[in-house]
Amino acid sequence: MMNEEALHQYFRQVCDDNDQDAYNELYKGLCSRLIHFSAAITGSWHLAEEIVSDVFIMLWRKRAQLAGVANPVVYLYVCTRNQSVNALRQQRRHQHMSLDHLDTEAFAISPDTEQNMLSAEVTQKIESAIRSLPTRCQLIFRLVKQDGLKYKEVGELLQISPKTVDAQLAIAVKKIAEAIRLDMTADTAQSYLFR
Amino acid sequence: MMHDKIWNLLAKKMADQLPPEEETELERLLQQHPDASYIKEVLMQPWKDKHKPFTPEETELALQRHQERLQAAMEHEEEEPEPETGRVRRMILRISGVAAALALAFYIGYAVWPQRRVSAEAALQQMVTRQGSRSQIKLPDGTSVWLNAGSQLDYPKQFTGQYREVTLLGEAFFDVAQDAEHPFIVKTKTFSIRVLGTTFNVRAYPQEENAVTSLVSGVVEVVMDKNTVRLMPNEKLSISTLQTMSSGEAAENAGSISAAAPVVKSTLTEVTDSVMAETAWVQNKLAFKKQPLEKVAVMLEQWYGADIRFKDEAKKQLYFSGVFEEEDLSDVLRALELTGSFHFKKDAEGVIWIE
Repeated sequence: MMNEEALHQYFRQVCDDNDQDAYNELYKGLCSRLIHFSAAITGSWHLAEEIVSDVFIMLWRKRAQLAGVANPVVYLYVCTRNQSVNALRQQRRHQHMSLDHLDTEAFAISPDTEQNMLSAEVTQKIESAIRSLPTRCQLIFRLVKQDGLKYKEVGELLQISPKTVDAQLAIAVKKIAEAIRLDMTADTAQSYLFR
Repeated sequence: MMHDKIWNLLAKKMADQLPPEEETELERLLQQHPDASYIKEVLMQPWKDKHKPFTPEETELALQRHQERLQAAMEHEEEEPEPETGRVRRMILRISGVAAALALAFYIGYAVWPQRRVSAEAALQQMVTRQGSRSQIKLPDGTSVWLNAGSQLDYPKQFTGQYREVTLLGEAFFDVAQDAEHPFIVKTKTFSIRVLGTTFNVRAYPQEENAVTSLVSGVVEVVMDKNTVRLMPNEKLSISTLQTMSSGEAAENAGSISAAAPVVKSTLTEVTDSVMAETAWVQNKLAFKKQPLEKVAVMLEQWYGADIRFKDEAKKQLYFSGVFEEEDLSDVLRALELTGSFHFKKDAEGVIWIE
């Protein structure tokens, strides 16, 4: 994942210098994260890609006015959220759209079994532990773990306090830890004890 | 029992937001609870998206699609300035219907976005599936397309003109919307298929030695270089692609194979009742009948996005039949292994070795 600082830098180059390469890098660095986020709201990968594309079209159009945006990454998440909610409202004529009705599968993540020593069984247990969490808690976990957002940023995006983010994450981590611990043999535990 | 504090600290550590003073506290707690170190390890590693992970290639393709949309939007803006971003999608839909406006817009657009491409390309849509994933789309004319793993379909945003034309690399199943006025044409490197309204499957992976059209209902005509073959329901036509592949410039010679290339007409393969090997994948089933393990391995690689290799070449010639639906890759391999004719092992890199 691209680090936040590089993304901020690209955003500035787009706004200040009309830099198209920076614009493309910004898209590449954020498209996966934003498309997953939008798909969770809209329930459609196809629509999600279009929405994120629209957000970036808007960015190119208004680049001159956006130089003052304090946190570009959060700004683009917020735009994606708003566009997604709007698209859904138009499409399904939902009167009350909220971020509590999310397609959690769209943003599901799991440990990379190729990279570590977890068995498929444990990985599945971790996945179902995450699934058992409240929707918002799952989203917060993903936004921090996978998207690399800070507590404060998640708070701004979801309109909750960083304290709530902190508490929700601890709940998620505890649940995941329980899933892992149940499967840990005494040997594994020992080997970690004497490292 | 572990104090809840440790989870709070681990969460902060994972988020890279643990202040130094709490770092020491976490260290102390981890010493007391060795199993939590293991949990920390798992949390600190990179995780992956369960659905639609973006590979660098995929990201590049998404960027291309985005640039095409951006270009179309900027072109239109030049013609009729529209500052509101929420209208972009609607705008694009509106202009796509009006060919004259489009032609003008493309012309003007060249001045706006320097990274321009040919105008015909701007209206082209592309659908790409990775190894191990399949997907379904509806084309603008109402035709449904199921795209199998590792395939690519190019189609226009709007069908205009006499024919509805799409280009396929890989495998797809088509349920073509009836429209006698506008024949539907699927182009592959080896042949083209002309239909009016029907359901059929096309398998034309560039790495395979045969390209196959299988017809489920209706009538299709398979058009090759010099001859045309008409297919009836439950028939399939298999055409060798070797000629075009060995010519080096295979990609450039779309549709041209020599008349000498072997063309075989046969009937679809029924694996079990009503499960046809050729079209089972559309129902999310993996089916094969009397296929050598070498071919089955390739199917499994495509289906699950795996890497399967042979340690013992002789095992390539073992023959298998089977229908799988919900099973994961190891279930399938274990089921085949039960015949006792081979063993498989997964190495540290995730490569599956058959021996």
